[in-house]
Amino acid sequence: MKKKVFFMFVMALAVVSFLFVPVNSSSAKTLKIGTMSPLTGPYASDGTDIKNGALTAIEVFNENGGMPGYDKIKLYPMDTVCDPRQAVATANKLLNLEVVGVIGAYCSSSTIPASTVLNGADIPMITPASTNEKVTDRGLPYMFRMCGRDDDQAPAAVKFMKEGLKAKTVFIVDDKTTYSQGLADGVEKNCKKMGIKVLGHDHVNQGDRDFSAVLTEAKTINADVFYMSLQGYSPAAMMVIQAKRLGLKSKILGQDAIYQPQFITVGKDAAEGVYLTYGYTDKSTPEYKAFAKRYTKKYGAIGAYATYSFDATTVLLKAIKAAGSTNPDKIKAQIMKLDYDGVSKHVKFNAKGDSGSSYIAFKVENGKFVPYWSPAKGFWK
Amino acid sequence: MRQEYKKIWKNYAVGMAWLLGLLWPMLGIHPDGTLTFHRTLTVWLYIFAGSLICVLFYITKKSRILSGVTDPLVNGAGKLSDISKALPTSVWMVLLFVFLLVYPLVNGRYAIDVAISVLLYVCLGMGLNIVVGLAGMLDLGYIAFYGVGAYTYALLNVAYGLSFWLCLPLAGCFACIAGCLVGYPTLNMRGDYLAIVTMGFGEITRIVLNNWMSLTNGPNGILGIKPISILIPTFHNTMSFETFWVKKLNVLYYFVLILAVISVIAVTRLRNSRIGRAWESIREDETAAELMGVNTFRYKLLAYAVGAVFAGLAGAFFAARMRFVSPESFTFIESCMVLCMVVLGGMGSIPGIVLGVIVLIALPEVFRQFALYRMLVFGAAMIIIMLFKPDGLIPAKRLKIQAQYEKKGETDTNVS
Amino acid sequence: MDYFIQQLVNGLTLGGLYALIALGYTMVYGVIFLINFAHGEFFTAGGYIGVIALSYCIAHGYTQTHPFLCLAGAFSLAMIYSAYLAVGVEKIAYLPLRGSRLAVLLSALGMSIFLQNGMMLTQGVMDKAYPGELFEGGFSFGMVTISYLQIMIITMTVLLLFGLNRLVYKTKIGMAMRATAQDKTMSALVAIGSNNIISLTFAIGAGLAAAAGVMVGLYYGSVHYDMGFNLGMKAFCAAVLGGIGNITGAMLGGLIIGLVEVFGAGYISGQYKDVFAFIILIGVLYYRPTGIMGENIDETRV
Repeated sequence: MKKKVFFMFVMALAVVSFLFVPVNSSSAKTLKIGTMSPLTGPYASDGTDIKNGALTAIEVFNENGGMPGYDKIKLYPMDTVCDPRQAVATANKLLNLEVVGVIGAYCSSSTIPASTVLNGADIPMITPASTNEKVTDRGLPYMFRMCGRDDDQAPAAVKFMKEGLKAKTVFIVDDKTTYSQGLADGVEKNCKKMGIKVLGHDHVNQGDRDFSAVLTEAKTINADVFYMSLQGYSPAAMMVIQAKRLGLKSKILGQDAIYQPQFITVGKDAAEGVYLTYGYTDKSTPEYKAFAKRYTKKYGAIGAYATYSFDATTVLLKAIKAAGSTNPDKIKAQIMKLDYDGVSKHVKFNAKGDSGSSYIAFKVENGKFVPYWSPAKGFWK
Repeated sequence: MRQEYKKIWKNYAVGMAWLLGLLWPMLGIHPDGTLTFHRTLTVWLYIFAGSLICVLFYITKKSRILSGVTDPLVNGAGKLSDISKALPTSVWMVLLFVFLLVYPLVNGRYAIDVAISVLLYVCLGMGLNIVVGLAGMLDLGYIAFYGVGAYTYALLNVAYGLSFWLCLPLAGCFACIAGCLVGYPTLNMRGDYLAIVTMGFGEITRIVLNNWMSLTNGPNGILGIKPISILIPTFHNTMSFETFWVKKLNVLYYFVLILAVISVIAVTRLRNSRIGRAWESIREDETAAELMGVNTFRYKLLAYAVGAVFAGLAGAFFAARMRFVSPESFTFIESCMVLCMVVLGGMGSIPGIVLGVIVLIALPEVFRQFALYRMLVFGAAMIIIMLFKPDGLIPAKRLKIQAQYEKKGETDTNVS
Repeated sequence: MDYFIQQLVNGLTLGGLYALIALGYTMVYGVIFLINFAHGEFFTAGGYIGVIALSYCIAHGYTQTHPFLCLAGAFSLAMIYSAYLAVGVEKIAYLPLRGSRLAVLLSALGMSIFLQNGMMLTQGVMDKAYPGELFEGGFSFGMVTISYLQIMIITMTVLLLFGLNRLVYKTKIGMAMRATAQDKTMSALVAIGSNNIISLTFAIGAGLAAAAGVMVGLYYGSVHYDMGFNLGMKAFCAAVLGGIGNITGAMLGGLIIGLVEVFGAGYISGQYKDVFAFIILIGVLYYRPTGIMGENIDETRV
């Protein structure tokens, strides 16, 4: 019996290790790029946007001449489920596939450990969605960020409360994730600095659907602004529905994670009049129009991070093309040199690997996100 | 015999019709008010074809229609196991060890990463096996101890710069204390009440880790944990020690391998000891065990404590490997997964658990190519394994004897 | 005071939903001693069928002409579908494994993962928006707002619970269910088909969960494929708190968990509200190891 068991183990292990041997059958030269984003789980819609944005970028890049020296560009979309362990596992998987660069991840809590692994192996990583400061503040050489930073978004949001909404008091709610709590704490700190009174800061948990208790509290306190810092549009939509039903009078201000057409689809009337801060994208530029036309035809409505993912992938591909090699230092040098008008914004990286933030306030009006106020220019007209 | 096939086909037909009824409302009614059948039928036909092959395979195997083909195969397999018998166990053991030692040298980093996961979960499975498999207490909050171990190393290392080897026993200690804290109030509960209370403790641990900002940094987790370090003597002029940071995965693999091997040996020894027999007697009948002079209170608490130690040790390694811990890694579903490994492999059976861990960790990784279908296939695989091997992949010997005994008599479903 | 009443209403609504889901757990546990992990998925399936039926009605304009008929139709379709699903699940994954408790527990967990991902693949990863316009509006007394939906949920819950109690204690089927729960062999001897009764129990439990699913969809505005696990877990706690296997206990447990959560979040701290629920659970079980109403040998067990 015992012998048989040991024998079985030897066989099983042999079989398992065969399964992991990478298949290198194709002789054609392929440039491999990975994306990391949650394709399943509660944040799957944003993660799918990231994947689709990257696919679109490769499509466009191929039409504009492709990558010299390579027959094709292949994208490996990996599912992180917004779980740090899955992020590390998929980062290792991507390294095994010998990708030259990675676009991702979505949740800051996934990006941080995954970037440690990827940077340890000298693979450039560009995140289209992780706004936490620590992503680029740790001094990793090959970490770049396409979207804005939380410590830019919080002051912008507070400035909007003070100047745009003329608020004197605020009530803050977050759902205890790296992203949402970091932002909520930033807002609280900035409010104190700018002289807005924080009447309360409560938390809900991830995966909650019932927010009636905390909303009742907010209604009783009745601050001028109800700052809602939630990861993803889904809890945000549920929260505004319940807030409307309960008759919350405060103005609701959200952040970039709820810039997602689904927020309005689910929230319907309740979403009307909700404010949010999000990186400004000039939708009248030819770059954006061309992207929007192509993207909506294939994948439908453009989510919050599709444009950033498109730009991140384009940056990577452009840098590889300009460098003429996949050497990470050369790619980095080229990325730092880039200076062009992307789809989401003007692309130019600073020494830390950030590409600057352009947060403005939007308002939901008639089922659309409408630019409402900007820190530089004041009210949008 | 024919009657039996008729029954199989009848059940199969009813099942497929049932499935069609389940699929259509989900796939065929569209929000714009149209009804379609095309997509439902396509999906259904795929499933139909797949399952038909399985049923045909099952029937041919049962009716021995293809005995001309299968018999030589079975004989061949028999011969293979003859070969396995021809050599002594020690040879196979040595072979297995050689294989485990060579593994990281021939494989890429992804395979090593998966292997490290497997080894860590082997350690976890061993610990839970003491609580569930030996002492028979259903524990759904086991992952909390893993979290305690991981956070112990993370916090002590980041705040005080303590080295891994100093933190490892401390992680075990803290997990042990946590085990006693959870174990003490739950000792008078039985069966599923115990399960739900342990689940409660597990969730409380996670929520506290997530909310105690000043200590654990909440959802942001703890960054900048140092990897394992070892002192290597160098002989330049005089002998001195140099710190070597284990950043390479394949070196880490060997450390985790040692941990897993130690835990396997420890649990084997424990099971065959006086304590192990006491645990098994509690599992079989607590009242009878108490009458026979087993101090059930002390042994149950001991089971919790020892089980937690293994989880704590594994947790410290987990923190050293990820170099980042956050509460998201210690959710309820993780506890369920460890329990699945133990039950799927065969409760109380050590090779079974190792196999269970390999199946449950390696399968989802192998299934990665199915992309979105990954977890669907995984769930189905779990059900199918349980349907065909309800006692686990490699059932424990003592349980096997008991199962044979029970088959003769009347089975009682109310045994916990 | 207004604040207290408002939170009380919130708690009762949430507790009612928990109670409806908890009933399925408790009934199934009562007859075959199984923690049915897939129960949360029956609840989600009900929510999805509800939104599918309602969208169909809206597309054909029936909601304008017969809003209540549409709603009744959505509820009954969801309940029937979930019951149908539950019977299929029971026959495939639980029936062959009857007798080995841990194997069937694992099979249930596998089923939960399977169904959750099945729903993800058929319904998409996005939230499905519920047409919530049907029941918008409510009453206001000073600061207290009670919406029609909350009233509907509480009424529906009470009605369904009342109906279930009638079914279990006043009818032949209920008697058969109680007999099967007590002793399968003996009940078989008096011509009760225990397999059919078990299937029926699954169907009823899943039907109640589906009703809760539709209500959750209407109340919170959307359904998502993984919402069953979290709510299901809480509901299971409620079932255990009340004394698993006991119908009245499940109702009581659901209400207690709902109220504790809402008051915990409203008066102490939102982030620790689940901790309060679990502490109450552990505290009760420490002093009464079989729950509030539970007794191991009790004729009221289903």
